[in-house]
Amino acid sequence: MTAIVTQGLSKHYPEVRALDGVSIELEEHRIHGLLGRNGAGKTTLMQLLTGQVFATAGSMQVLGASPVENADVLSQTCFIQESQRYPDTFRPIDVLRIAAGAYPNWEQALADQLVDDFRLPVKRTIKKLSRGQLSAIGIVIGLASRAPLTFFDEPYLGLDAVARRMFYDYLLADFSQHPRTIVLSTHHIDEVANLLEHVVILDQGRVLLDADTDELQHAAIGVSGRAADVDAFLAGREVLERTALGSLASATVTAHDGDERAARDAGLDVSPVSLQALFVHLTTASAAGAASPTAPATDVATN
Amino acid sequence: MLDDSKPLFVAVAEQIEDGILDGTYAEEDPVPSTNELAAFLRINPATAGKGFNLLVDAGVLIKRRGIGMFVAPGAREALRQRRRSAFQDQFIAPLLREAAQLGITAEDLADMITKEVAR
Amino acid sequence: MRIRNVVQLHTVNRLQAFGWPLVFMALSLVVVLIIGALIVHVTAAGEPDARASMNQGMRWNGAIFALLGPLIGFGFTAMGQYFPLALGLGLTRREFAAGTALVFVGNAAFYAIIISIGKVIELATGGFGLGIRFFDVAYTGFGEWWQTLVQTFLLILTVMLVGAAITTAFHRWGQSFLWSFWIGLALVVLGFVAGMVLSEPFRGFVGDLGTMGWLPWMGVIALIGAIGAAVWLALVRRAQAR
Repeated sequence: MTAIVTQGLSKHYPEVRALDGVSIELEEHRIHGLLGRNGAGKTTLMQLLTGQVFATAGSMQVLGASPVENADVLSQTCFIQESQRYPDTFRPIDVLRIAAGAYPNWEQALADQLVDDFRLPVKRTIKKLSRGQLSAIGIVIGLASRAPLTFFDEPYLGLDAVARRMFYDYLLADFSQHPRTIVLSTHHIDEVANLLEHVVILDQGRVLLDADTDELQHAAIGVSGRAADVDAFLAGREVLERTALGSLASATVTAHDGDERAARDAGLDVSPVSLQALFVHLTTASAAGAASPTAPATDVATN
Repeated sequence: MLDDSKPLFVAVAEQIEDGILDGTYAEEDPVPSTNELAAFLRINPATAGKGFNLLVDAGVLIKRRGIGMFVAPGAREALRQRRRSAFQDQFIAPLLREAAQLGITAEDLADMITKEVAR
Repeated sequence: MRIRNVVQLHTVNRLQAFGWPLVFMALSLVVVLIIGALIVHVTAAGEPDARASMNQGMRWNGAIFALLGPLIGFGFTAMGQYFPLALGLGLTRREFAAGTALVFVGNAAFYAIIISIGKVIELATGGFGLGIRFFDVAYTGFGEWWQTLVQTFLLILTVMLVGAAITTAFHRWGQSFLWSFWIGLALVVLGFVAGMVLSEPFRGFVGDLGTMGWLPWMGVIALIGAIGAAVWLALVRRAQAR
């Protein structure tokens, strides 16, 4: 079953097209990555899918129905927002109590354990909490709610590397035990790359890439060697990035079957392209393409 | 920990294979579950599952419904055979390429290998 | 409908929902009692009517606003702080509106009952034995206890509904709404002053308003509350997260 289907989904504000004709399908029981630079439209998309804002155009189905003002869908959906505001006078324990009532699958034992592990002071008022502690509230709710569809929008702002790793471990463990659909939006791409089964990259409100992570490992390769050899290899291929240092050059190209061997045969070193690197190349190439449509490749450093 | 030049699920399969080759998982013994391995390697369980399926399809692992996965009898020897045939491609070819670049002849190479083994 | 969760959202922090308003009210009452005690004991010997004139002077004393004040904030807080969290926790606008309306009614009833009981006690004990007025003032009504009950209930409910409507409109239209609101209010005040100064019939009309009976006044309050409720409900159903 598909957890999320959107068709031509758009959200236009007076001054910006936050989302512009997004059509995606997200399978259920998978961990999806929703990536994009700041202002790419990730949060807007999640706000639309959880009925927090209304679409300008297009349609969407979440868990088989429209989420707008739909209690059946929304009680099965948990959206942890980086920018979530809590009433000033509340304490974390107040928020957790309400969340426990709002989500039918809530697991209190897990919530208690997370509160301990993330050292969340549940009886301190919200306005005295640090950024990381605020994030911890979201993480506790997002995991303990066990909602069939859970969105995490940059869930660990202000948390250190240890706490982030703890979040990944909990996420994986609980996801294994209780499979559900997770949509994870983050700038820490390297950290989550191996957790994701499917990736959607948004750029300026549009879908730049929509693919399984398995496919992405072949989607692009890095080649390096003598500039003349590299340039010969690049001819006729889609170049995402090219840098040169003296007579040496390296480049990232979108790859097709046999490209890797062809590059080796041409005497070039071939390296894999990480999701993070691919993301940077794609969004940079897209920005450059928008600026000057005739030159999709960027020459970062020419000698 | 995982070879990042290959698709993740291939790297997962190879790690299990390494465990079988070096005797960590003896024949007919159980291997870790998908979820255990996913948690250990911090990867998506589906990816770990694909790695296991690769090994099941290759006859290296046997799936027993409701119990788990076990190393197939004869898996170790079969793996060894397969790795041997890949050895040429994976190790000898790059070695020769690098040697040629440095002007090392095949004879020099043979000498170096003999010396290294003796050490 | 998960109305129970919305009610919980408003009441989970008991100190905030009930504790502080009651504490402020108690403190304020204590202050008035002390003033009463001072006047009665210090000046009683010299001026026999001190007590009566104090009682008269306290008819318009606003000490009760120590309780009504925090309640005015309820409408603002409901939309400004609780609505975003309700949306964030996957509650629908309809659920939020229904639950919040229930909380408004419950709050208004709860505090109206407390004030009415206070008033009955105050009258029965001759101003707590000191001739003071706290509950029996102009804002709560000088009539029968049930009139106070109805009046304070309507007053509190209306204030909360109008507060919620204003906050929702502010969220929707931002600063431009506030400007329009203040300009509109200024025009109304200006028009009122101009009418009083320039128009004899208008002065007569206002004079009639002043002597209007209790029931019509309740009608006016209820009407304002109904308009606030209608505006609030219409806006909240289209309110979006920011």
